[in-house]
Amino acid sequence: MSVLARHLNILDHTLSSLWRRRLKNLSVLLVFAGVIFLIASFQLVTRALTETAEQALVAAPEITIQKMSAGRQVAVPLAYSEKLSGIFGIRRVVPRVWGYYFDEVSGANYTVLGLERDRMPASGQLDLVLDQGESPAPGRSGAALIGRSVQQGLERKGGSLLSLFRPDLSMVSFTVAGVFKEETDILTNDLIVLDIDDARDLFLVPEDVATDLCVYVANQREVPTIAKKIADALPDTRVVTRAQIRKTYQVVFGWRSGFASVCLLTALAAFVIFAWDKASGLSPEERREISILKLLGWETRDILAIRLWEGILVAGLAFVLGCTLAYIHVAFFGASLFRPVMVGWSVISPSLRLAPTVQLSQFLLIFCFSVLPYMAATVIPAWSCASVPAESALGGV
Amino acid sequence: MLIELEHVTKVYNQGLANEVTALREVSLRIDDNSMVCLRGASGSGKSTLLSIIGCVFQPTSGRVAIAGKQLSRLPDRFLTLHRRRYIGFIFQNFNILPALSVEENIMLPLVPLGMRPMVMREKAAVLMERFGISHRRRFPAGQISGGELQRTAIARALVNDPPLILADEPTAHLDSRLSHEFMDFMADLKAAGKTIVITSHDALVTEHKAVDRVIDIRDGRIHVS
Ligand SMILES: Nc1ncnc2c1ncn2[C@@H]1O[C@H](COP(=O)(O)OP(=O)(O)O)[C@@H](O)[C@H]1O
Ligand SMILES: [Mg+2]
Repeated sequence: MSVLARHLNILDHTLSSLWRRRLKNLSVLLVFAGVIFLIASFQLVTRALTETAEQALVAAPEITIQKMSAGRQVAVPLAYSEKLSGIFGIRRVVPRVWGYYFDEVSGANYTVLGLERDRMPASGQLDLVLDQGESPAPGRSGAALIGRSVQQGLERKGGSLLSLFRPDLSMVSFTVAGVFKEETDILTNDLIVLDIDDARDLFLVPEDVATDLCVYVANQREVPTIAKKIADALPDTRVVTRAQIRKTYQVVFGWRSGFASVCLLTALAAFVIFAWDKASGLSPEERREISILKLLGWETRDILAIRLWEGILVAGLAFVLGCTLAYIHVAFFGASLFRPVMVGWSVISPSLRLAPTVQLSQFLLIFCFSVLPYMAATVIPAWSCASVPAESALGGV
Repeated sequence: MLIELEHVTKVYNQGLANEVTALREVSLRIDDNSMVCLRGASGSGKSTLLSIIGCVFQPTSGRVAIAGKQLSRLPDRFLTLHRRRYIGFIFQNFNILPALSVEENIMLPLVPLGMRPMVMREKAAVLMERFGISHRRRFPAGQISGGELQRTAIARALVNDPPLILADEPTAHLDSRLSHEFMDFMADLKAAGKTIVITSHDALVTEHKAVDRVIDIRDGRIHVS
C-alpha cells in the first residue's frame, strides 16, 4: 500500500467527479483563466516597457547638461565643457546635436541624433541593437543608422539613399549603414543616428554649440556629487542624471501599471470571494458524500486529498492556460486588448512590437495571489467537515 | 469474529442541554460466525449500539473488544483503520452515492487502500457477478431499482472481504420479496464464515431461520424477557 498508489487512486476518483460536474467546473476554469490572463498580460506589458526603457538607459550618459533660457532648452556653448575641467571625477564631456525632422513626403516625424561616437565610451554597444549592417567608422560622414519606420519610409520611396533637407531646402544624402532591431522599437523606431558633423550640417548648428553635453563619470557613486558641482559651476544649465531619468520613466509606467493592477486585483479578489463562497457553502450532497466516505474507511487526509487534487487541477490548469494566452497576446498580438488603457504609449508608437521577457518571480506572484487562495478556498471548508465524526450519515432516513 | 462489550454507555452531547443517554451499561457477547439480531422500537439505541460495534465512534464509558483486541481507548484514526479492515457496513438508507456508477460505488472502500485499479475492478466484478448486477456496472447508482441498490450496498460492504458484517435496518425500505432475498444473502454469508449483526424490528428478519439470537433493546438497555 504505497502512498503513490493511494494518491493515484484518489486522483482517479477526483477526475471522474470533476468530469461528472464538467459544466460547472469548466465555467469556473474559464472565468479563472480569464482573470489570470488579464493580470499576466498586464504584467508582461509593463515588464516589456520597463525593460526597454532600462535598455535605453544603459546607453545613456550618467549626466546630461542642458542649457536653459527662459525655461526652454537652448543650444549649449562647447566652451562650457572647459569650465568643467576643474571638477575631479569627470572622465569625459561629449557634445550631442539632435533635433526633430519632419519629412513632408511621408508626413512622418523623425528624431535625428548626431553623436561624436569616437569619444563616447559606450558607442560599441550601438552594434548590439542593430538588426542589419554595422555602425560606420567613427567620424565617417555621409552614413546613417536608422530605425525601422524610417527604413519602411525609404522602401516606399524605392530609394536606398536617405535624402534629407536642410532648413534652407538644400538636400543632403546619406547611405544607410545599419537598421535598428525590432526589440528596441519603442526608442529607435523613428531614429536617425548621424555623425555629429553631419547633424550640424543638416540642422545648420554652429561649430561652437551643441544641443546638450553628455558627461561620463569614472565612478558611478560620485554621480550625485559631480552633478551638484556641475550645477554650481554652470548656473544657467539643467543637470539631469540617469537616475532621475529612470525615476521619471518609473513614475510614468508605475502610475499606469499601478492603476491597472488595482483594477485587476479587484477582479481577482472578487473571483476569490466567489470561489470561497462556493466552496465554503458545501452543499448538503457534498457533506453527505464526505460523511459516507468517512464511514467507508476514508481518513480525513484522503478526503482532503480529493479537494487538494480538485484545486490543483482547476486552478493549475487555469493558471497555465491564462499565462500561455497572456504570452501569446503580448508577444504576437502586441497586447492589442490593452491599447485603449495605455493610450499614451499607443500614441507614441502605434505599430509597436513588444518582446516580453518571462520573469519567474512575476508568475510566482500571480500564482501566490490566484492559485493559492483558490486552493485554500477548496480545501479548508472540507477540512472542518471531514474532521467531524462519520456518524452523521448513519441512523435515520 | 468474537465481539465483547462490557458496561458500555453512550451519551450524546454530553454536558449540553440536549444531552441524550442512548445506551446504558450494555454488556453483550456475540460469538464468532453467528448471526445476531438487535430488536427494538425506534429510538431504543439499536443504531448507536451497532455503530459502537462497527467502530464508527467510541463509547462514552465501558469496554469494547473485537477478536480479543481492546478498542475502547484507541484514537479515532485507528478506529478508521480497524473499520476498513474488519467491518462491512450496510446502512439503513444504503448510503450509495447516486452520481457515481454502481462499479465506482462498490470500489469506494478500496480507493484509500492504494490497491491497483485492475485489482479493484476485478474484486468489484466478482461481486457484481455474484449479485447479478454486472449489467448495471456503468449505470449511475441514482438510476437503478431498489433491489439493485440493495445488492450494490451489500457488494460494497463485502468488497474488502471483512469478517464482520453489520446491517442497520436493511429491510426498512424493501418489500417482502426483497427482504427475503436480503436475508438469504445474509444466510449465505454466515455459511461462508462471516459474523453478522442486524438491527431490525421486522419479523421477517428476526424470525429468519439463520438468525441464532435475537437481543431486545429498550431505552438503551438490553431487555431480558
Ligand atoms: N448523533 C446523535 N446526536 C444526538 N442524539 C442522538 C444521535 N443519534 C441518536 N441519538 C439519540 O439517541 C437515541 C438512540 O438513537 P438510535 O441509536 O438511532 O436508535 P434506533 O436506531 O434504535 O432508532 C435516540 O433518542 C436518538 O434521538
Ligand atoms: Mg436506527
